[in-house]
Amino acid sequence: MSKMMDSIEEKLMPIAEKLATNRYLLAIRDGFMLAMPLLIIGAMSLLFAYLPITGYDTFMAKLFGASWMDFFMVPYHATMAIMTVFVILGISNSLSKHYKIEGMSTAVISLTGFLILTPFFTMFTAEGSKIAVKVGGVIPMEWISSKGLFVGMLSAILATEIVRFVINKGWVIKMPDGVPPTVAKSFSSLIPAAITIIIFNFVRLGFTFTSYETIHNFIFTVLQLPLTSLGDSLGATLVANFFIGLFWSFGISGGDVVQSVMSPIWIALSGDNLTAFQAGLALPHIITQQFNSIYLWIGGGGATLGLCLLLLFKCKSQQCKKIGKLAILPGIFGINEPIIFGLPIVLNPIMLIPFILTPLILAVVTYICMSTGIVPRPNGVIIPWTTPPIIGGYLISGIRGALLQAVELVISLFIYLPFITVVDRTYCEQEKAYAEAELAETLKE
Amino acid sequence: MKKIALFCSAGMSTSLLVTKMQKAAEAKGIEVSIDAYPEATMEKELDNVDAVLIGPQIKYLLKKLKKMCDEKGVPISVINTMDYGMMDGEKVLNQALKMME
Repeated sequence: MSKMMDSIEEKLMPIAEKLATNRYLLAIRDGFMLAMPLLIIGAMSLLFAYLPITGYDTFMAKLFGASWMDFFMVPYHATMAIMTVFVILGISNSLSKHYKIEGMSTAVISLTGFLILTPFFTMFTAEGSKIAVKVGGVIPMEWISSKGLFVGMLSAILATEIVRFVINKGWVIKMPDGVPPTVAKSFSSLIPAAITIIIFNFVRLGFTFTSYETIHNFIFTVLQLPLTSLGDSLGATLVANFFIGLFWSFGISGGDVVQSVMSPIWIALSGDNLTAFQAGLALPHIITQQFNSIYLWIGGGGATLGLCLLLLFKCKSQQCKKIGKLAILPGIFGINEPIIFGLPIVLNPIMLIPFILTPLILAVVTYICMSTGIVPRPNGVIIPWTTPPIIGGYLISGIRGALLQAVELVISLFIYLPFITVVDRTYCEQEKAYAEAELAETLKE
Repeated sequence: MKKIALFCSAGMSTSLLVTKMQKAAEAKGIEVSIDAYPEATMEKELDNVDAVLIGPQIKYLLKKLKKMCDEKGVPISVINTMDYGMMDGEKVLNQALKMME
């Protein structure tokens, strides 16, 4: 058994290392990390504009006037609704740091590159009219929202690579000695910027000859849509969550490793739902970032909050009780390293079974509840993954979401029960044997 | 004063351990500053640090992080799995103190 575990570990470690140290995935992670606080603020302000309480709307209108909603909608539009902008800046800045080139100026060049690929007009259909009119002088929100994420990520990486290439070639304007360094610096990004803009402009021009007209239409249709619809399937979610469990089984933070690949897709899905939620349309997706972090990882990866309760109230061994006490408070906020390493779950063949299985079962239960309409789909509001259960469910699917989380907690409790009973019994016997040995020792003295 | 830095993926579970280590240091009468950070920020947190400890869940990053630490001459090691799980502040503090000898 331990031999097999060793050989699996030997194979998993390099995969985790490769994913976690891949410079592009790392940059994308940093990009989303930069945007995350803004996404949370934006999504929360949208929630305040549309609180699911009857009479809230008329009450607020009476109190603050008919345009009260603007107070919450403007911050939403300035953050969540234009998230691609922040993601681009973050990715480019992080990748620049990796290459040890100036981060700020490269990030701005990347944003410019992205804007070159973005059409500066929108098709507008006036009320009562059937003909769409081309309106110029605008940057369409459509493409700087989650819908433009993939073009944004590609632009940031491509532009940063071009800037690095040009700098490495030494194609920069060199000032004669005696020119103040600050002045010289102001010229140093001129050529990299110019070359980047020229290349992006040719890309833009190239796409005008295709039926897609813009790279936005092209990437959205051939890459983002297929990837997100794959990510929206139950199968992909089960695979992703199986790997999270598998990585954790060997003490590797599986959530991080798997999310370095899945986050862009899951966040794009959340963004889609939030856009529909705001427009009052039917929510298109079941799987989103929150489907995973709120409904499947109750108490942390492996849905260990139920296990925590068992440790506290059901187990008899000192070891289990102590871990339970240590783990309950962090567990409420989704942090479960004490259980994973302390119980332990890592390399523990008995506990690994429910640890991997529970999130998968919860995924199926949640998916069924949402596809049959028993529980509303996640509204796409991005809340911190540390949001305690019940509150989290309420914020993303209303009261029925909160109830679902309570049911899930009970389900997880029953899945863990037989396994933890076995482990607890072993610990009890060990503790008893240890106490007896100690007693014999003192009697001898 | 000696400075110990702990790193894990989000700096959250290690921050739990930090409070326990601080208590252990206080009980022993040792003056030491202990902080927890997310692994992504290691490069800018390394200045003036005397010892780096990382959570076992990011052991797979040891090679990359060790390179960073070596450049600044800071010793780095992985926190013992069991001590991490039990949040045993005293044992982890001893581990750090040994590294700084």
